[in-house]
Amino acid sequence: MIKITDLEKVYRTDEVETVALNKLSIEVKEGEFVAVMGPSGCGKSTLLNILGLLDDPDSGSFIFNGIEVAKFNERKRADLRKRNIGFVFQSFNLIDELTVFENVELPLIYTGVKSGDRKKRVEAVLDKMQIMHRRNHYPQQLSGGQQQRVAVARAVVNKPKLILADEPTGNLDSSNGNEVMQMLTDLNEQGTTIVMVTHSEHDARYSHRIIRMLDGQTVMENIMV
Amino acid sequence: MIKNYFKIAWRNMVKNKGYSAINIGGLAVGMAVAMLIGLWVHDELTYDRYHQNYDRIAQVMQHANFNGKVETQVSNPALMGPELRDKYGSNFKYVIQSSWTGGHLLSIGDKHISKVGNFFEPDAPDMLTLKMLKGTRAGLKDPYSIMMSASAAESLFGKEDPINKTIKLDRSFDVKVTGVYEDLPDNTSFREIKIMMPWELWLIQNPWAKQMNEPWGSNFSQTFVQIADNTDMASVSAKIKNTKLNNVSKEEAKYQWAVFLHPMGKWNLYNEFRNGVNTGGNIRYVWLFGIIGIFVLLLACINFMNLATARSEKRAREVGIRKAIGSMRWQLIRQFFAESYLVVILAFVLSLILVVLLLPLFNEVAGKKIAIPWQNPIFWTFSLVFILITGLLSGSYPALYLSSFQPLKVLKGTFRVGRFASVPRKVLVVLQFTVSVMLIIGTIIVYQQIQYAKDRPIGYTRNGLINLGMEKEIREHYETVRTELKNSGAIEEMAASNSPLTQVWNTNGGFEWEGKDPNLAVDFPNNRVSYEFGKTVNWKIKEGRDFSRDYATDSAAFIINESAAKFLGFKNPVGTVLKWNNQPFTIIGVVNDIMQESPFYPVRPTLYHIGEYENMYNLILRLNPQKNAKQSLTSIEQLLKKYTPSVPFDYKFVDEEFGGKFRAEERIGKLSSYFAILAVLISCLGLFGMASFVAEQRTKEIGIRKVLGASVINLWQLLSKEFVLLVVFSCIIAVPIAWYYLSNWLTNYDYRITISWQVFALAAAAALIITIVTVSFQAIKAAIANPVKSLRTE
Repeated sequence: MIKITDLEKVYRTDEVETVALNKLSIEVKEGEFVAVMGPSGCGKSTLLNILGLLDDPDSGSFIFNGIEVAKFNERKRADLRKRNIGFVFQSFNLIDELTVFENVELPLIYTGVKSGDRKKRVEAVLDKMQIMHRRNHYPQQLSGGQQQRVAVARAVVNKPKLILADEPTGNLDSSNGNEVMQMLTDLNEQGTTIVMVTHSEHDARYSHRIIRMLDGQTVMENIMV
Repeated sequence: MIKNYFKIAWRNMVKNKGYSAINIGGLAVGMAVAMLIGLWVHDELTYDRYHQNYDRIAQVMQHANFNGKVETQVSNPALMGPELRDKYGSNFKYVIQSSWTGGHLLSIGDKHISKVGNFFEPDAPDMLTLKMLKGTRAGLKDPYSIMMSASAAESLFGKEDPINKTIKLDRSFDVKVTGVYEDLPDNTSFREIKIMMPWELWLIQNPWAKQMNEPWGSNFSQTFVQIADNTDMASVSAKIKNTKLNNVSKEEAKYQWAVFLHPMGKWNLYNEFRNGVNTGGNIRYVWLFGIIGIFVLLLACINFMNLATARSEKRAREVGIRKAIGSMRWQLIRQFFAESYLVVILAFVLSLILVVLLLPLFNEVAGKKIAIPWQNPIFWTFSLVFILITGLLSGSYPALYLSSFQPLKVLKGTFRVGRFASVPRKVLVVLQFTVSVMLIIGTIIVYQQIQYAKDRPIGYTRNGLINLGMEKEIREHYETVRTELKNSGAIEEMAASNSPLTQVWNTNGGFEWEGKDPNLAVDFPNNRVSYEFGKTVNWKIKEGRDFSRDYATDSAAFIINESAAKFLGFKNPVGTVLKWNNQPFTIIGVVNDIMQESPFYPVRPTLYHIGEYENMYNLILRLNPQKNAKQSLTSIEQLLKKYTPSVPFDYKFVDEEFGGKFRAEERIGKLSSYFAILAVLISCLGLFGMASFVAEQRTKEIGIRKVLGASVINLWQLLSKEFVLLVVFSCIIAVPIAWYYLSNWLTNYDYRITISWQVFALAAAAALIITIVTVSFQAIKAAIANPVKSLRTE
């Protein structure tokens, strides 16, 4: 599903040049659940952003679903993103002005799903995430765990092929964290490919494979049994 | 999707009430101003359109060359109409000779009312496409007929049918009502005319008009035409150029009379001529206010843009999330436009309410009777376009700016508005204050100019003077009336005069004097007065003496004004003889210039001579200052009623008449001052909003500075400095532009102020003080906040 080869990304300010990705090559197969780990500044978030088509690499190849996307412009990237990729963020990133229902509905609006259809699909996913009773609440009225469940619901409502999770349990207590990880596992079992960046060895154990990064390169891969 | 946009927009608006109030309120004020100006401009541009053939109607006017200076006049000889019909008939559909517009007394039984009207030739109702309510447009064919407007008919006859009723006109002629027409709307040149009588009747009333020795030499009537359908205005105008020149004496021919057509479409907006060239007129105010309207709206839109982009950091996260979950940029642009349009639509509704509330005041100040055309689909179309444009103006920059954020930076939390992100905002604030400062300067200069002309010496004392028409009975018993009025103690003195004190009704040529250049053309205002004229108006004798009944020779004497003395070029004018139509008149005195015409132009060389009472139509009374004016007026009315019981006591205070000369300028001054206040208010609203955002943005910095020992004053300076600098910069831009335009405006007046630097200093100081006061509220609020609190916000 994902094949990146010799990917490079350098951040430059006036005086400092930081190499975030240094000739990185990784492959993720369809249906895999991959965890990316490493110390702060090792480039894992940069990798996730490039995989999510939020950022573009300086050089190298990025093949997504058989298509070379490294040189895609913003418009093409946005189009590909909304049809194929769901995001789960550490800080949930829900829109405060929208209710739970409306937050989850948003990706469907952007992909042009009809109103009646949208309602059905949002209700189904809220039901699945067990937050249907909170559908008319605003994010500030929910606990952290509930907010992350909404965020996961939003990420999956469009049935993406790939879910990118950036420390999805970072802001949660352990029981809520476990719940979210279980959700991701369930999704993966249903066929969704997942790439998750995490600091937590505990969370990483839910994955099939752990890629460990240092200074913009992979240093080790662990296959989970 | 649109529903979703508006939902978010609405929630954002409710959540940020203060911000929304500034936005909607400011925009509503801006839109209300633009709408009022729009209605005014529309009213001005559609002047006289009520007449269906307005584009083919014209007034016949003349240029005359007086010693190298071309003067333009609307008055014509009575033979102008017949001559045009006779020689150039095929070029015209209608040619109408007309009297001046004036008040006339209508009597039926004991009922007497005064109405303003004209004597017209019979085709006038057709030319003006009067909308007849009763009778036909052929109502002026019989010399003893009268047509009246609906309002005049109602005030005279109530609900009765006036057709074929006989009324007495000016206490002399019985005339029959032949038609009632819809009153002419306020934005027509003939709006004052409530009654129309036949020109033929005027000629019967004024037999001298047909008995003149040189009928082409005397201009005392007006001529209107409607050109034929197969011609155009310019070519007809060129054809008739020499109509007068071909008929005048050799003496008159030296004025090079040139006849031309002034189209009705230009009467209102292009009514000024300087040296024979049309130099515009009210059109300059249409432009001026049009530009002000656009600017004020722009100021309000700028507030919207500035506040929206200043809040960008708050909205950035939302933009990032939306982009991450699949929003295209154009979808975000649409969302932000939806937000702008929601604000604009709400502001429009509010502005409509404001316009409804303000329209009466606006009409009073502007001297108009504008109504909102609720029923007119064009009005609503314009409103829609107006909303679209305002939304586009105010929404485009925020939409483009906000939608441009990179989701990555925002979501990573590394998003910071760039160092130069506030530059466009600063530019916009500078633009706002430049316009505001220009308006402040403009207002001050217009007021100075009016005040300057008001303070100009007028050559007489106008307090306590009243002016009224002098009826036949008073003219016949002039001396008795004067004695009785003086004995009653109501007045100090009374005089008769041909012209009222604030106008010149009569000018004459035909003067000769020793040493006069034979080519010099003269046309002096020449006022017939009674012996007590000078004493009544309190003029100042500079040389010689006043008229006196003790000198029998004073019946052939002139008192001249200073300008005349200068023009004639006599070293010692007193005692010199002026020949008027070969009759010798001795100059017995020189008086100060008396300002009878425009206060913005020089007083013309003027002559005064003793006239017969039967040839004078104005009575000037000086009230007794020792007595209560109201009581005096009552006793004057009672006394005059003895002689003219049916004539209403229709007097005018000279002071008010004099004030009327400034009406146009005062209107401009008042309107521009109101607009300046609103512009400043809108700009301040924006500044207030901006200051609050800056204070919010710098909360942490303020906290740290405070912990490190900064005083409230230090922090106040820190936060205010930027805004003060922007306003200083605005002043630097505004001053030369304002100076350029106002100097140009002032050249319209011969008698004008010189612009002093103090005006600019005053306007700049006002702008700075307003800025400091506006910004200080937020700055001080931020500065006195508890630093612990502000640091905890991190």
